[in-house]
Amino acid sequence: MATEIKSIANASWPAGVRLPVALTFEHQSGEGAPLLPGDRPNYMIGGAMEYGGRRGIWNILEVLDQFAVKSTFFVCGTTAEKYPDAIRAAHNAGHEIAGMSYAFDRVRTASPERERTIVRKTVKVLEDVSGATIKGWRCPDYRVSPQTLDILSEAGFAWDSSLLNDDLPCLFHCSGGALIELPFTTSTADKTFIGYPYPMRGGFEGLANVWDSEFDVLYRESRRAARFMILSIQTWATGRPTPLRVLRKFIERLRTHNDIQFARCGEIAGWCSNHTTN
Amino acid sequence: MWNEIPLKQPGRWPEGIRLPIIISVHHQSEEAAVVFGDGQVDPFDYSERQYGGRRGAWRLFEILQKHGVLGTWIICGATVEKYPQISREVKKAGHSIAGHTYEHEMMCNYPPDQELRLIQKTVAVFEDLLGERLRGWRTCFASHNTINLLLEHFDFEWDASIWNDDLPYMIEGYGKKLLEIPFSSYSDAAAAIQITNPMPPTPYGTWHSNTPEFIVRTMKAQFDALYERGAERAVLMPLTVHDFIVGRPSRSLVLDEFIAYAKQFDGVVFATHDDVRAWWLKNYSAQ
Repeated sequence: MATEIKSIANASWPAGVRLPVALTFEHQSGEGAPLLPGDRPNYMIGGAMEYGGRRGIWNILEVLDQFAVKSTFFVCGTTAEKYPDAIRAAHNAGHEIAGMSYAFDRVRTASPERERTIVRKTVKVLEDVSGATIKGWRCPDYRVSPQTLDILSEAGFAWDSSLLNDDLPCLFHCSGGALIELPFTTSTADKTFIGYPYPMRGGFEGLANVWDSEFDVLYRESRRAARFMILSIQTWATGRPTPLRVLRKFIERLRTHNDIQFARCGEIAGWCSNHTTN
Repeated sequence: MWNEIPLKQPGRWPEGIRLPIIISVHHQSEEAAVVFGDGQVDPFDYSERQYGGRRGAWRLFEILQKHGVLGTWIICGATVEKYPQISREVKKAGHSIAGHTYEHEMMCNYPPDQELRLIQKTVAVFEDLLGERLRGWRTCFASHNTINLLLEHFDFEWDASIWNDDLPYMIEGYGKKLLEIPFSSYSDAAAAIQITNPMPPTPYGTWHSNTPEFIVRTMKAQFDALYERGAERAVLMPLTVHDFIVGRPSRSLVLDEFIAYAKQFDGVVFATHDDVRAWWLKNYSAQ
């Protein structure tokens, strides 16, 4: 059983880094769309999400490239199969490729065997398509099963980002060894502000405000305690032109601080592992 | 059974107080996490709520400290057991503390004997772990038995569970008296988009809360209305913040900004339920 050892309250980031910022992009192309009654596929919502695979990811890669920001993409296996070029491009540009199941498979009540198969299949597809080594994971719907962390550790993963319960990474001892958990939050997730079919709260301005507020508070707190900032962003939502501009302005704003560092999840987990094994 | 003891004249606050604001911090961590039809706790909701016990409560505590204001902490018994340190700090800092059931049980779904046992269990946790004899109670989803049970079996001084009035009122039953200090759904700084229904629980979290800027506007609008009304008669502003919602960094600014705004006005005081009870009792002793 995965056991939490501690949240890494005394995390020390590399010299000069006051606040690491992880932009995490969740990338699927309609696999996560809610089904219509009778379990029929929902191509209206599915189509809106497919935007991420066709167009959104490319728009986002362009913005990240413009500012030389490196980030993490959580990718569904089937999306990588359908749109392999974008995943290769992301990897070649220095972004981290991490797993988000094969076909947006929900594992909350899955048998360990089925969950292991999903993880294995996803890793194979993502590695074959991109050439990257897959070390990180986020569960679809952010719903882990009781054995998710153990299964990931046995499969050689270094980190997971499916929990929402802390401001700092946490260290877990799992059946396959240590695993770093990088908790994130849906309180700042783009889809909860602008992503149909979710409630359209606040719109583009609301999204910009919540990202700014989150940064302001964490940046202030990071003066006296370790903090990191992590945003959950959908390629199908923020990939569209108007929220893309919100993302660009947010990156521009953060770049005026020379002590923040955009980082991939794997880098942050690495900084934590070094620290905790001391 | 109980009766209300009416005031013969409109109640007032002590000289110099125009608008008391009671900040109630709901510190309940993961206790109210949604349970699916298959009996399993929703891991997403559980994890999001757990943030409240691990981090959010501390952030709210620091904001109150920063502004030098006291409020009432509404705490579940199981939360004290899991996260005792924050409750001890809260007590040491002088905030009032009220019980909020054991594991956030929705009391409207429990028969009276079970509700009684859960209140007793909660009261015992506070005594054992904090040395705190509870004076106040806020239930989760009041039942029609809640007030009777509080009067018949306990010595609470106040209850703050009912949504039915602007101002406190005294009730009497089983040879005891209790001040009811009401609040309302409008006082909740989550400003949930959906109405929460206890059966089955509908989701209530950051996804279901209005945007922070909307909530700041809503709180200021309520403040402005009450402050204006407070020139002529007694008013009271209850404000509820949940550790796992307003305790999030971006949402914590709602509380921070609201306190900063309200503090600028003469006659505004941030008070605990215990303060408000002591002030309101003077209206009864004066008659």
